[in-house]
Amino acid sequence: MGSRLEEKSKLVRKRIEGHTFEHEGGEEYDGSKFGGFTDYFRRKKIKLQNLDAQLRAQSEDKAKIFKGVVCHVNGYTQPSLNDLHTMVVQYGGGFIQYLDGKTMVTHIIASNLTPKKKEEFKRYRIVKPAWIVDSVNAGKLLPWDAYRVVDEGVGQKVLGFENGNVVTQANRKTQGYKEQTDTSWYTSQLKAKELQRSESSSRKQPSFTQTITPQEEIEDEEWPLPEITSSIERALEEADDFEDDELPESVERSEDALDTTTKLETPPPTSPPPAPADHSVTGRPIPEPEPRKSPANQTTPLRPRQGSQEPDYSMAIVRDSAALRSLSPTRLATMTAEEHNALLLSDPRIRKSTVVHPDFLEQYYRESRLHHLSTWKADLKAQLQALAAEKSASQKREQQQLKMKKLPGQRRYIMHVDFDSFFAAVSLKKYPQYIDKPAVVAHGNGSGSEIASCNYPAREFGVKNGMWMRRAQELCPEVKVLPYDFPGYEEASRKFYDAVLATGGVVQSVSIDEALVDISMICFAQSGTDGVKRNEGGVFREQAKADDIAQKMRDEVLEKTGCAVSVGIGGNVLLAKVALRKAKPAGQYQLRPEEVLDFIGHLEVQNLPGVAWSIGGKLEDIGAKLVKDLRELTKEKLINTLGPKTGEKLYEYARGIDRAEVGDQVVRKSVSAEVNWGVRFENQEQVDEFMHGLCGELQKRLWKEQVKGRQLTMKVMRRAGDAPRDPPKHLGHGRCETVSRSVLLGVATSEQGVLVREAIAMMKSFNISPGELRGIGVQMQKLEGVKVGVGVEGDRELGSQRRLPFKTGQSSKMPVVAKEVVEGSEGEKAAEDPILDDVKTPVKAQRFVDASNLPGVPVRPANPSTPSKRLLNTLGTQFVLPTQVDPSVLAELPEDIRSKLAKLVRPSAPPPPPAKAEAGPAARPLSRAQSPTTIVALPNQSQLDPSILDALPEDVRAEILGFYNNNKSPGNRKRGEQALLPQSPRKVRSVPITKQPLKRKRGAAAQAEGTVDPEFLAALPEDVRREVLAQQRNARLQRAGGIDLSLHQRSKAQRHNRKKKTGDEEAALLERVLVLPPRPAKPTFTSRKLTELPNLREAVRAWFLEFANEGPYEEDVVALGRYLGDVVVEERDVGKAGAVVRWLGWLVGEVGGGEGGGEEYAREEWARGLERIREGVQRAAGERGLGRLELG
Amino acid sequence: MAHDPLLTYRTLVTHFTDFLTVAIHTILHERNIYPRTSFLSARKYNYAVRQSRHPKVCEWINDAIAAVETELLKSAVDRVAVVIYTKDLKPTERYMFDVSRFPAVDPTDLDTRLERRGENGDPVPIVPLADMDEQFRATMGKLTGCRGVLKPLPEGCTFTVAIELKSEGQPPVGHPQPWMPVQPELSETSGEKHTRNTVHPVRAVAAGELVFESWIEQAVDAT
Repeated sequence: MGSRLEEKSKLVRKRIEGHTFEHEGGEEYDGSKFGGFTDYFRRKKIKLQNLDAQLRAQSEDKAKIFKGVVCHVNGYTQPSLNDLHTMVVQYGGGFIQYLDGKTMVTHIIASNLTPKKKEEFKRYRIVKPAWIVDSVNAGKLLPWDAYRVVDEGVGQKVLGFENGNVVTQANRKTQGYKEQTDTSWYTSQLKAKELQRSESSSRKQPSFTQTITPQEEIEDEEWPLPEITSSIERALEEADDFEDDELPESVERSEDALDTTTKLETPPPTSPPPAPADHSVTGRPIPEPEPRKSPANQTTPLRPRQGSQEPDYSMAIVRDSAALRSLSPTRLATMTAEEHNALLLSDPRIRKSTVVHPDFLEQYYRESRLHHLSTWKADLKAQLQALAAEKSASQKREQQQLKMKKLPGQRRYIMHVDFDSFFAAVSLKKYPQYIDKPAVVAHGNGSGSEIASCNYPAREFGVKNGMWMRRAQELCPEVKVLPYDFPGYEEASRKFYDAVLATGGVVQSVSIDEALVDISMICFAQSGTDGVKRNEGGVFREQAKADDIAQKMRDEVLEKTGCAVSVGIGGNVLLAKVALRKAKPAGQYQLRPEEVLDFIGHLEVQNLPGVAWSIGGKLEDIGAKLVKDLRELTKEKLINTLGPKTGEKLYEYARGIDRAEVGDQVVRKSVSAEVNWGVRFENQEQVDEFMHGLCGELQKRLWKEQVKGRQLTMKVMRRAGDAPRDPPKHLGHGRCETVSRSVLLGVATSEQGVLVREAIAMMKSFNISPGELRGIGVQMQKLEGVKVGVGVEGDRELGSQRRLPFKTGQSSKMPVVAKEVVEGSEGEKAAEDPILDDVKTPVKAQRFVDASNLPGVPVRPANPSTPSKRLLNTLGTQFVLPTQVDPSVLAELPEDIRSKLAKLVRPSAPPPPPAKAEAGPAARPLSRAQSPTTIVALPNQSQLDPSILDALPEDVRAEILGFYNNNKSPGNRKRGEQALLPQSPRKVRSVPITKQPLKRKRGAAAQAEGTVDPEFLAALPEDVRREVLAQQRNARLQRAGGIDLSLHQRSKAQRHNRKKKTGDEEAALLERVLVLPPRPAKPTFTSRKLTELPNLREAVRAWFLEFANEGPYEEDVVALGRYLGDVVVEERDVGKAGAVVRWLGWLVGEVGGGEGGGEEYAREEWARGLERIREGVQRAAGERGLGRLELG
Repeated sequence: MAHDPLLTYRTLVTHFTDFLTVAIHTILHERNIYPRTSFLSARKYNYAVRQSRHPKVCEWINDAIAAVETELLKSAVDRVAVVIYTKDLKPTERYMFDVSRFPAVDPTDLDTRLERRGENGDPVPIVPLADMDEQFRATMGKLTGCRGVLKPLPEGCTFTVAIELKSEGQPPVGHPQPWMPVQPELSETSGEKHTRNTVHPVRAVAAGELVFESWIEQAVDAT
């Protein structure tokens, strides 16, 4: 849905909205001329719009819900085209009968499309007719998204948001004729009648099979249609029964802890949790159920953690926000995203909890519960893993000493130990009274909180982990909500692991409450077997031992923690996991080898580890519901369906084979930092600033993990086009589109500066308006470990490659002299470039910029001893000319300065690439002039001052040069070539572009290129020139707010070039346009320039009538004769000439003769004139080699 | 109305040759070259036209049109003529299509998009399809009505298709040779003799770039 669509349809919309109709006297009601089909059609369309305008005027009473919508109906629809048309127009929309282009309308209405059209219209808004009907019924414009006809493609996964989590779901849609009839307007009307008859008041909207969001999700949704108005209403309502609702709640809650049954008369919206018995447990922020304050008192700063999860609570904030309340909903709707955010942020309380607040990130990560949970879990896991690894390593060693090496074909005994509803069980220890009642652990009793864990009684009601509280309460109204008890969890987990490790097996921790233990060795030792030989008694003893170990361990854990654990034992990890399912709750089960196939065979595929409903769905498609069905399938089929890895894995799983070893460590693959709550920006600066913070966070984490990465991935969530500006969850992200992009960094890094630079560049490339941003995440991949101890400082220890201390860009000050080669900090400069603000004194400003932009530029009046202080002034100006010329500034400059700049921009011959940096001082200005081409963090190699270089210690010099060499590595080269910049077409470059410059920078470079003089252009080789011009055009387009076609065009250009290289002339020709030479003007008659036959006839007639009585003037006859001759010879329309002559002949013969009053003389004169004209025409015809014309 | 977004010289020529095919069929029907019963009624340009259903005739016409098209694509043709001969091979009627004002396009640019700039620099549509159809329809109408102005033909007439090349055009000689080269002075209907012909203008078609004129020449002394 590009801006192209918007732009064109906006024009059409404006035109339609501005269309008025007064009477039928307009030009459009004239007749059409021959050959004037275009005219005819244009008029037809105007007339159709006239009808619409009238219809619209007649239905002023109807709400203008389709304002801004322009529709076109394609194909058969229900309701009919006519009905839809009337509906759309009556409710303020525009309607286009004839589609000149797909972008003319905002929506195309169709029930079904042919496959070809589906392909064609894929990128347009194709909606079902039900959209119109339902919108009319609902009295407002419903989001069109739910009425899509064309989805993103059948196989494509659709990102959805379910319970606040991003989920991908297969886009499976039923399509067929049934759908249309079922959801059609007529059917629904019929149904409605039936409903009325049966006096059922519950009116249900027809359900739409084409909705991409599953039905449950809608049910789980807090406020399916979050609107400010509703929150205001809510506020008013709540203000009314302030007494009932707000204040007593805290009282109610404490009462409730004592007596849960008395409160049934006024059921609170959610069941409050019992008051915590023990308040001493803190340490970590525990979300204790706080007494809810009335909104009026709610002036304390919002803690995002609470706001993030409790829409109830936060809605109060939004609804109390005077700024929002004072505005009408319509006004809200018309605001831009930025304005909206600004308005939202104008409330200091809200502002405090969004990204705009400087301490946001810190606070966010400190208080975000999700973050807390996950990091805490990870920490604990890492700790325990380390512990387990240490212990098992020593055990392994011992075992190896005992020569108990793993033999091929050996039996294995793997235990999978798992707490039963860990969080719930531990939390319940504090509330033993609920132990046999349904209870769940969640952060609050708000309906929007998510259930972290639930006990078995609750599970019987169908409550599941991860469910929303509201749903859980529907399933089980008396469910108890328990708070988190983090210290308790930690303690329980520790005890659990103690017990697990005590078994003496090889332990692999899966999570805080789950572990895998390989106890084969213990079993063998016990039974005295080697695990390979088939010895009935031995096997039996082994199995008994395994059961024994498990039982002991369970007892121990139960004793220590008071919680039950379940143990599954099997011959491998898979079997252990499967056995665990049977063992639960609070039991143990050993899956014996002889029953493996049977047992697994009767499981549903989704019970296999690693198979959830997405894979399960695919398997069901190919006919496998149970695992034994899976066995029927060939490996190839599975691999084809699921991909090589998963397919093979499942093939083996189905046969009870799992090659995973206990103790296999999963290596961390990525480190990321992501924020998708409270993201509301007003402008780009805030975004950039936030990126700094986020990258700082990422850097911190990378350091903590002692890794650095080579690939930076950025994920951005942007508000979905039709999602409301205020999502149901306060400051949440709502429904979003997620886009991501990766960049491969040349060198592994964890440095904030680099990350920020790349991140901002990527952010720019997304081209998302700041107001639409809802979430930003940065992730580092391709991790490399950092060798600890390389350096001492934080900075140094991160790189195997040492860095020189680089100067940071200080745009407002003269640069400080740096002893070594200096590097401008691109990231900051981009944001603070003073040129943009300081147009009036550009030269001066540019001087500073130049100085800071250009590393190593010897503007160093402070230090005259530096050998490079002298500037070779070849340009006749004392100003240091900037190399990165802002075209807008350039345009403001006087002519002479501009020409100098232009000269500078034109690159001159590059210095020969020096093996070492040996560029003489004379070459320096030239190479500097070239430097805009290589917008890199590094200075051009030729810019290195050799004297400085020589002065450096040997190793540092080697490193500098090494850095350049490193940058020439092929991996970087590829990137450099990709961003082939027009300024330096030569192939030989001393330094290839290494880092992807900021996109804007590239744009700027292209803009600067806008001043390239034609001479230079002409000197370029053909293909380079075309590229330069294309780039310029792109830059222009981008500046003009046009469509960003750069990618498209570049790829096209590349294709073009490639094709040309392969000699495909034709494709190349298609791209060209042959502009035809202008046609010679038609000969015209008289000063009125008549060319058309009717006009000519009219003129001839007037002429004849005027002079009927006195005969034609000689010169007139000659003129007409000459004209007709020209018509024959030049215009080549013998027919026309003949027609005029015949017309004159008829006039002379009939009209003149008929009047009778004409004088004989005049008549003769006319006849003679006619004859002469005839002769002239005949002569002309003869000239063309024609025969005698039949001139009647 | 959507215009062909890729109007090239080739498409232009194709439009014309299509028309020419229809025109030849119409002429054959109107001039009674073949029995009227051998013609089918068809519809082209939203106009009732006749089409010979004799496979050999159709084949011949198609071959001839293909040959004309080849020459047209070389931009070498000045006029296309459909000549009707009497039994003793005297030309009696010529249906002329003056295509000299087709844009001259280099053979390498056959598939290049044509574009004409209007006075204000905006590209103007090359061949407005709706206009073209109307123009062709009008021309067909005129051709169908030619019986009214032409004398009836004698029995046993035959016909052929001829092209006149532009002066700079290279005659299409070589193997295979679809055309019989004729010197202009030897041509029966040119030179001195043309004064004896009567010319009936048919129509000048001007639909965008598709500009050509058509007329009928009738030999006065034909008997």
